[in-house]
Amino acid sequence: MLCEFDYLEPTTLADVLEILGQGDAGVRILAGGTDLLVNIRAGLITPKALVNIKKTAGLDTFAFHPDRGLEIGPAVTINQLITNTEIARRYPLLEQCAEMLASYQLRNRATVIGNIVNASPSADMAPALLCYRAKLTLTSKRGSRKVGIAEFFTGVKKTVLAADEIVEKITIPASEADGKGGYAKLKRIKGHDLGIVGVALHKKQDYIRIAVSASAPTPILAPDFQAKDSPDYIAEQVLAAIKPIDDIRSSREYRRFMASVFVKRLLEEVRA
Amino acid sequence: MYDQIDQKDLSFVGHDVPRIDAIEKLTGEAAYVSDMILPGMLHAAVKRSPHARARIVRIDTSKAMALPGVRSIVIGDELDYRIGLYVVDKYILAREEVRHYGEAVAAVAADTLIIAKEAVRLIEVEYEPLPAVLAPLDAINIDDPAKPGKAPLVHPKLGEYDHVRNAFTPQPGTNVANYTKFRKGDIDKGFAEADWIVERQYTNPSVQHVPMETHVAIVQWQAGDRITIWTSAQSPYAVRNLFCHSFKIPHKNVRVIIPYIGGGFGGKAGIGIEPLVACLSRKAGGRPVKLQATREEEFSLLPCRSALTYRIKTGVRKDGKIVAQKMTMYWDSGAYADYAVNVTRASGYSCTGPYEIPNAWVDAYTIYTNKPYGTAYRGFGHVEFSWGLERQMDLAARTIGMDPLEFRRLNTLKPGSVTLTGERITEHTGNVTKCIEEAARGIHYGKLTKEEAARQKKTGWKIGKSVAGLQKAPAMPPFTGTAIFLKMNEDGTATANVSLTDMGQGTYTSLAQMLAERLRMPVENIKIAFECDTDRDPYDWQTVASKGLLIAGNAAILAADDLLANAYDMAGQILRALPCDLDHDGKGVFVRHNHEKKISFAEMAAGYAYPDGNGIGGPLVGVGRYIAQGLTNLDKATGQGNPALDWTYGAHGLVAEINEETGEYNILKVCSVFDVGKAINPAEVRGQAVGGMIQGLGTACCEGYIYDAEGRLLNPSFTDNKIFTAMDLPEVIESAVVETAQLDGPFGARGVGEHSMIGVCAALGNAILQVTGAELTHMPIRFEDVWRALQTKQSPDAWIVKSPVKHL
Repeated sequence: MLCEFDYLEPTTLADVLEILGQGDAGVRILAGGTDLLVNIRAGLITPKALVNIKKTAGLDTFAFHPDRGLEIGPAVTINQLITNTEIARRYPLLEQCAEMLASYQLRNRATVIGNIVNASPSADMAPALLCYRAKLTLTSKRGSRKVGIAEFFTGVKKTVLAADEIVEKITIPASEADGKGGYAKLKRIKGHDLGIVGVALHKKQDYIRIAVSASAPTPILAPDFQAKDSPDYIAEQVLAAIKPIDDIRSSREYRRFMASVFVKRLLEEVRA
Repeated sequence: MYDQIDQKDLSFVGHDVPRIDAIEKLTGEAAYVSDMILPGMLHAAVKRSPHARARIVRIDTSKAMALPGVRSIVIGDELDYRIGLYVVDKYILAREEVRHYGEAVAAVAADTLIIAKEAVRLIEVEYEPLPAVLAPLDAINIDDPAKPGKAPLVHPKLGEYDHVRNAFTPQPGTNVANYTKFRKGDIDKGFAEADWIVERQYTNPSVQHVPMETHVAIVQWQAGDRITIWTSAQSPYAVRNLFCHSFKIPHKNVRVIIPYIGGGFGGKAGIGIEPLVACLSRKAGGRPVKLQATREEEFSLLPCRSALTYRIKTGVRKDGKIVAQKMTMYWDSGAYADYAVNVTRASGYSCTGPYEIPNAWVDAYTIYTNKPYGTAYRGFGHVEFSWGLERQMDLAARTIGMDPLEFRRLNTLKPGSVTLTGERITEHTGNVTKCIEEAARGIHYGKLTKEEAARQKKTGWKIGKSVAGLQKAPAMPPFTGTAIFLKMNEDGTATANVSLTDMGQGTYTSLAQMLAERLRMPVENIKIAFECDTDRDPYDWQTVASKGLLIAGNAAILAADDLLANAYDMAGQILRALPCDLDHDGKGVFVRHNHEKKISFAEMAAGYAYPDGNGIGGPLVGVGRYIAQGLTNLDKATGQGNPALDWTYGAHGLVAEINEETGEYNILKVCSVFDVGKAINPAEVRGQAVGGMIQGLGTACCEGYIYDAEGRLLNPSFTDNKIFTAMDLPEVIESAVVETAQLDGPFGARGVGEHSMIGVCAALGNAILQVTGAELTHMPIRFEDVWRALQTKQSPDAWIVKSPVKHL
């Protein structure tokens, strides 16, 4: 039981942009639908039209180019990402974050870009993309622009994406491939759950990058660290970058404590 | 009814027979009320209160009624019917005052669900919010709960309500819906004998049953007050009886049909949304109306498990004997008494656990508050008190420097022991000591295995082990009964009709096995009809309390014996033999001393016809009737009496690893042992053992209602009310049975439907306590709680929080 809306299935990106170009906030893009349909059912959104982009040519781009890096289109699901062993090997953090997202059934539908566009503070794909300094290509009838993932989020469920724009793809630089890292996520159960706090760590030869989910109005990227920085220093800097709250899932105090524990655990793992 | 038959002589009982409903459930073909669409059916939606307590100033339905497609709207003022199982305290829709967040104040039936929901939105309700009473200890005069306190009254007219007088004692002028007490021995003398006294306060929040199929009913109220109810409920006769009492309609006019049920766990034990849907149908001119609760509505429109706050004071001697125990229990009933008063009574007579305590004193109160109301929930109060009692056993043992397992073995109920209500335990009652020992053996209690030691060394997470005992008897009227109709089909297969329902627990398969054993025909030849229908099927009180297997099992045996007696009578005439010389196999009846002389069940099924057309005997049927015997009401002053049909004992052994820095933990192993008397179907016993254990651990680890300071529920969905999933199962699960035959149990069997939930929560708390010293007295045990307890050695209780919430 939802509500009444028009359902559109454009086959070309140009058609998608034309529909979005009318600038109607009631027109929503449907990819996985795992957040959208839940919000419609809850009455939080009453769309006039849903635009299914799963059948739109070119939006299922999912390939690694030695020069351009990894490109992920908006129709690519989380499970597609996980089951691509070559990409999972080159970008281990992507796979680790993806494995922590919801449940297998939801990962069959949920998309990588949908998780980002939904802009939840606890978005599980965000820490990996922040660590990899992913760039988003935002496209509309007016043209395309590139935005760094760190600049994409502006608040809880808020982004810089305009009503007439679509995230046409995410690009992860080739230079970020083949690092070591991991994602530690505190949950209430081992089954699917939103993160209480999540820490992702990405280590290359000469730098360490850490991103944190569910600890501020947006997912947070800490400043880059040098490989030789001490765990205490790194944890301290990460804690300075986050602003967790008290809510029914956890206290602010425990979130901060666990963020620092996770930073140290992950550092130990990549240095082992 | 126990015949001592060796397992080697049993063909079907005691075997792992697959579920008789496996095919339709696995293929998805089984049709539930959720799936049903009737011709002309309307869809209903409910307007609910955003306040915990408020006066209803005005309800304006005119805009909603003007919406095309709306067929009927009802509000409380027009429905002067009260419902109640034990205390008749609830209107179908709130009248004058709303008493809890989420309470129904109006309902709509419309052509589509979209229209019904839109109409609900258009109904205007003006409230005058009133101060709500939320915490049970604030709701009463704590010094003397029988006297008025300072809190507002949830039910100012409590003294006018009808109630079941031989069991319950509401206290008019207070918020006490019921007060039950138990007195055994001399409590002062007992404590005087004690070398040590341990006293603690424990708490549990409310939790949700979370059946896969939410509450759903279709009701059609036709001309002449002929009413048909299709509902997802546990007990067709209870729905009919309570419905007829409320509406003062003859029982014969009301037909309750229950097809397959998508889970109940106690939440569908009594009556729920059926009366409301009936009123919508009546007002819509007799069109059938369907109402299905949303998942969110399950949390606050429909009832939950009551929260409990309780104190236990235990006196022990240095030699390990418990000499005295005083327990005061404050059950948070929420806005209506429903089953909570009986949870109070039934867990009260059981709350000394499977231990003999010579001097015991229990005061148990059911307290009204302005919160969603409590009902039956698997375990019926035992999960809740077992949490504290079994923690208390470990604390008492630690106090005197005795191993907790040894301490339990010393104090268990044994033949000759006397229970809290004065019942003497015999060698046939069951063997809890053996359950505890087997559970301990299963987890290698008291030491780490080589693998565990290596794991602990590698991870640094400390491994703790504990064993908790448990017991439960059915909570039911002393005269609880059932009947079964058994019909021989024309091909020699048999069909049984029962009103006990099978909502997933597997009782029907067990009944089929017992019928098969008695009739000596394969289980595949026996059908237990799944759809229950009060117009056709014989009476059963309710499908609750883990009593179905025992009572309906006996009725099944009696039905088979009755059918066989009729068959022997007919066959004796046909074969010209005395019934005493007859015997039967799965095909028919034969003469014991001349196997050539035989007549098949198929030939007798419709009555036997001779070659010339003469008929004899009539259709072959059997009726089995059984009722609990020898049970009594409890004395209101002392609680003495004989309430227990049977005691199923058990124990859980649990292994957990705990991170002492962060409070994170993993459950590595659970070993469950139950004295089931006789495992009619060992695979189903294991199913119950695993299912209940995981449900219990969910409540131990993460489940629980969280309210804001105004009594609004903050987590009415799976977003923040997590339940355990398959991924949360312990790494290793073992289950075993002890079989001390129950002398009045079918083939010696007892029920085990609820027991697997009991005890496991405390076992987790004790395992954490054992290796970290963290004393946690509140369920659930969140990682953060362990972390705080490790730091402060104090248990936090953060379950009333102050944060804003969206209005409904």
